[in-house]
Amino acid sequence: MRIRVLGLGVRLAVLATFAVFFIAPVVWLVLAPTKSDKALITSSPFSFGDFHHVALAWKHLDAFSSHIFRRWIGNTLFYALSATAITLVAGVPAGYGLAIGRFPGRKLVLSLTLVVMIVPAAALVLPIFLELNAVHLIGSSFSVILPFSFFPFGVYLAYLYYATALPPSLLDAARVDGCGELQTFLRVALPLAKPIVALVFFFSFVADWNNFFLPYVVLADSNQYPITVGLWDLLSSTPSFNPAVGGGGQSVKIFKPELALATLIAVVPVAIVFLFSQRALVRGLVGGAVKE
Amino acid sequence: MARVEFDDVSKIFGDGTRAVDKLDLQISDGEFMVLVGPSGCGKTTALRMVAGLEDISAGVVRIGERVVNDLTPKRRDIAMVFQSYALYPHLSVRENIAFPLKIAKLPKEEIGRRVDEAARILDLEPYLKRKPRALSGGQRQRVAMGRAIVRQPAVFLMDEPLSNLDAKLRVQMRADIKKIQSNLGVTSIYVTHDQVEAMTMGDRVAVMRKGELQQVAPPQELYDRPVNLFVAGFIGSPAMNMLEARVERGDGGVSAILGDARLELSEHPRLAAYDGQTVVLGIRPEDLEDAAVANGDAGPRLHGQVELREALGAEVLVHFAIAARQAVTEDMRELAEDVGDDRVVGKLSDGERPMSATLVGRFSPRTRVVEGDAVEVSIDPHELHFFDPQTGLAIRSR
Repeated sequence: MRIRVLGLGVRLAVLATFAVFFIAPVVWLVLAPTKSDKALITSSPFSFGDFHHVALAWKHLDAFSSHIFRRWIGNTLFYALSATAITLVAGVPAGYGLAIGRFPGRKLVLSLTLVVMIVPAAALVLPIFLELNAVHLIGSSFSVILPFSFFPFGVYLAYLYYATALPPSLLDAARVDGCGELQTFLRVALPLAKPIVALVFFFSFVADWNNFFLPYVVLADSNQYPITVGLWDLLSSTPSFNPAVGGGGQSVKIFKPELALATLIAVVPVAIVFLFSQRALVRGLVGGAVKE
Repeated sequence: MARVEFDDVSKIFGDGTRAVDKLDLQISDGEFMVLVGPSGCGKTTALRMVAGLEDISAGVVRIGERVVNDLTPKRRDIAMVFQSYALYPHLSVRENIAFPLKIAKLPKEEIGRRVDEAARILDLEPYLKRKPRALSGGQRQRVAMGRAIVRQPAVFLMDEPLSNLDAKLRVQMRADIKKIQSNLGVTSIYVTHDQVEAMTMGDRVAVMRKGELQQVAPPQELYDRPVNLFVAGFIGSPAMNMLEARVERGDGGVSAILGDARLELSEHPRLAAYDGQTVVLGIRPEDLEDAAVANGDAGPRLHGQVELREALGAEVLVHFAIAARQAVTEDMRELAEDVGDDRVVGKLSDGERPMSATLVGRFSPRTRVVEGDAVEVSIDPHELHFFDPQTGLAIRSR
């Protein structure tokens, strides 16, 4: 009996330690905009300031470079949604084709998809930069959207679904019922893959939203920045991170609470997308695990 | 409506497997043709070639007067019912049945009328709004049928449509499908591995084996006059008893010596050619009877030992051993493998097979024999089947 209680105690202690370790920074971040820059250092790390400071932080943030923060959020939405749309239109049919089609080179394409899937996106930034430069796209929206639309993981997810979870007899039935190949895909294969579409949408959107390195390299005008690069720009405008700024008379009022607020706002769209696609996501992740 | 014709049709898969080998088969307008055979015999491949779901490696398939080899499924005017039913899970029952009509761009009123009609015939009216997953197996099967009949196609193709149903429902659906087919009069090709389905449903039955057509005939003829050992062993349940028998020519005619019994055959000129040789003798279970309850006649008798008695109510299946050799040929081995019975397979590899064979007799319920009894069994000498042990072909009396 005593040993069981002791064991339970040890387990709880271990779990609690790790929970605190991981949750503490998040709590700190959420509370940070409620305090002044000074209070952030002097008061208890987990104390709540007041909402007045949140409003003030937003005022400073929004005023930075004449509302450029809103612009960054808008840019990011535009880049991520455009690229995700292209990913879905190209990736899901590609996965379907690889799973159902019988054509020479199918295995090669499949292997290549797997290989490029595991190559880190950052590793391709330099060649992509050179390529975009060669076709004079550097600095345009396309320089971000087009490379983002290349999402082999989405192709592979769709391939896995169609190769394992979709009964081939359904496609046969559609063909016998009068569908051509395109109709078979649009009327039967695609509607059945809703969970996979949601899954690809989510992963692609999050990857695009969070990508920093590529837009940092290919975009020069801060008006075109996505939020990730914008945050970096903000960071380098904060006196506490960059002593070069914030000299006398400087109108920029970006301090740690403003940065924390900016970061929180930047996370919101991803959270919303997750909430909406959550049900479909779970279905997609377990789809095919249980046969009816 | 149309006739369907296989003209020297072969299917060779990429790995060189010959799934269908030079199939010649004519299915008349309105006929219900059953393709039957053990798994891997090519029956489903043959069906899929008619559907256009499988390329035709050689030969010609015609539906009506048209050669359809290069037509896509949608242009063949066929409807198909799949083993798994293949209902569209994201569509309701109504949408599932309406699907082919919608693809064909029929007017809405016409679609509604035809779906209602099909739902009425198949008793699906209460379920039209449900999704397939909310239906029982039998209901799903009927939706699949509904989707086929609304098309009013030239040909129905059915690929083991009843194999996922439980036994009782299967018997009922068997009758329902047959009734619907004969009411609509649509040419139908029905694939099954169940010989009872084949016998009860088909106007004619085509027995296939290893891609080759063995025999095509009306069910009763198939049963009474199988062309070879394979067909004889496949059709009928319990299966025909197959034994080795020696042929002897006498004054009056020919005799078959089975263990200690001599079966006199007055008229069997072709068998006479096997004088002194061993042939395969096939006896249907119903042609054996407990001599104690048999009606009068003093026909030939077998003497055996009862091993098992299975009372089925209307009849009693009695397994009994006699002093004769079980016939074991390649055909027997394949049939045994198909039903998962490895005993015959084992026996074939044994060089020395025991001088004892177990027969199954379909006795009258009045029989009193039980396990361990000695039994005298009468045989109907007019209903014996003989086969050449080398070729497996039937040796017909006329």
